[in-house]
Amino acid sequence: MAGTDPSQAPDERLIDLVIKELGEPLSDSEMRSLETFDAADVGRLRRDLERAAAAVTLAARLTDEPLPGRVHARLERQAADFFARPSAVASASSTPGVSDLDTRDRKAPAGEAPVTGLSVRATAVRRPPALGNSAGWWAAAACLALAAVGWLRSPSPLTASPASTTAGGLVDAAPSPATLRAQLLASGHALRAEIPAGKDPASSGVTGDVVWDPVSQRGYMRFVGLKPNDPALQQYQIWVFDAGRDQRYPVDGGIFDVPAGGGDIVIPIRVGVPVRAAKAFAVTVEKPGGVVVSAREHIVALAQLT
Amino acid sequence: MSSSVLQRIASGDQGAVRVCIDLYGALVWSLARRLSRSIADAEDATQEIFLDVWKSASRFDAAQGSEKVFIAMIARRRLIDRLRKITAEPPMESEEVLDSIVWAEPGSAQETASEAEQAARALQELKPDQRRVLELGLLHGLSQSEIATKLGVPLGSVKSLMRRGLIKVREYMNIDAERVAAGS
Repeated sequence: MAGTDPSQAPDERLIDLVIKELGEPLSDSEMRSLETFDAADVGRLRRDLERAAAAVTLAARLTDEPLPGRVHARLERQAADFFARPSAVASASSTPGVSDLDTRDRKAPAGEAPVTGLSVRATAVRRPPALGNSAGWWAAAACLALAAVGWLRSPSPLTASPASTTAGGLVDAAPSPATLRAQLLASGHALRAEIPAGKDPASSGVTGDVVWDPVSQRGYMRFVGLKPNDPALQQYQIWVFDAGRDQRYPVDGGIFDVPAGGGDIVIPIRVGVPVRAAKAFAVTVEKPGGVVVSAREHIVALAQLT
Repeated sequence: MSSSVLQRIASGDQGAVRVCIDLYGALVWSLARRLSRSIADAEDATQEIFLDVWKSASRFDAAQGSEKVFIAMIARRRLIDRLRKITAEPPMESEEVLDSIVWAEPGSAQETASEAEQAARALQELKPDQRRVLELGLLHGLSQSEIATKLGVPLGSVKSLMRRGLIKVREYMNIDAERVAAGS
């Protein structure tokens, strides 16, 4: 097994795995090896070594460059947007004092569907196959066998719908994603595209559309017929193809779940970075919490703006 | 103890965000420049890092470390994530730049946080090859295999050097933390 020496003492093996994880993704076998250790020990070691690595970074005599004015301005706009969503701060504040700094938000701010996954962890990042455009996603989907047995069969019942996956209280007061989508559509500023039938069996019978406002960077995907998922096993993840970026690496648009019963659901698209010119939106099936780069094994929806 | 910038952000103080950008903008930008493929990429990374910082602000615990180290942790993670996502190649820096790292002297003005001073002290005690491996892995984002190739040493040696080096840094930080806790 690459990177794992069976003759190595367990403590050393654990340390080596965590150190490797600091800088690069672990292989599946390494992940399995890591999972054999006590989770609390792993968490403690991970925290200690990350702190040590950060301190080493600070100990280097970096040539400090002042933050460019344009970046400063972008950050201030971003901050305004961040605070314009009270749930963003509330969401962060309500998190218990965890030592693990994984900032991936698996649950949405109050009143909205799951927010963009913002993983700052290097684990389980897989390099994608070099597909040059979004059409390649469908080709990949058509070529890959459907293996997600747990995905399509007997999904566990969810406790909340996509529009109410966060703690209650504020949910009722906030407009539903469907209402917000309708308002955005009525504004006349938004672009809209249908979701055509896909080739992946998991996308069979899925219809819907995407509504996207390039100015406000807000958008929604509506689905009918998307199969319920068990979030403990897999989750859906939205991707935005931006004409201004490398098409091999679409922008993460957030993860979401479909509750038992499914039906007509509307999911907000939440991007963590500016999308300059959205040209397509895709939905993949990923591991819980989503991924930084999709392996594109299951593409269940793809809508192209024209 | 007065509220830190991150604690203020966590409590919803929007003004603290500007302070946060002013205080840590150069640090984040410098790290982003070092570990990004282009200026545009560094700009995007800087935005993502600050968003991560704001969203994680409530998780900051001053008892566990400095604000600066907390932000450096977030920045480092995000940048490594992006680096691995964007390319299988090493970051944009040239060989000359790769060779240009100079570690801060303990007690000198280059130190940016007490934990960095502890790390600097530990680094001084490391063997040159241990320091070099940490430098390539932590500051330049090279994978262990890339480091092995670059230095012409077996992968196992790289792992061993990294392990010993980082454990030494951790020991120094823990020892100092215990000393501080004991009030000495």
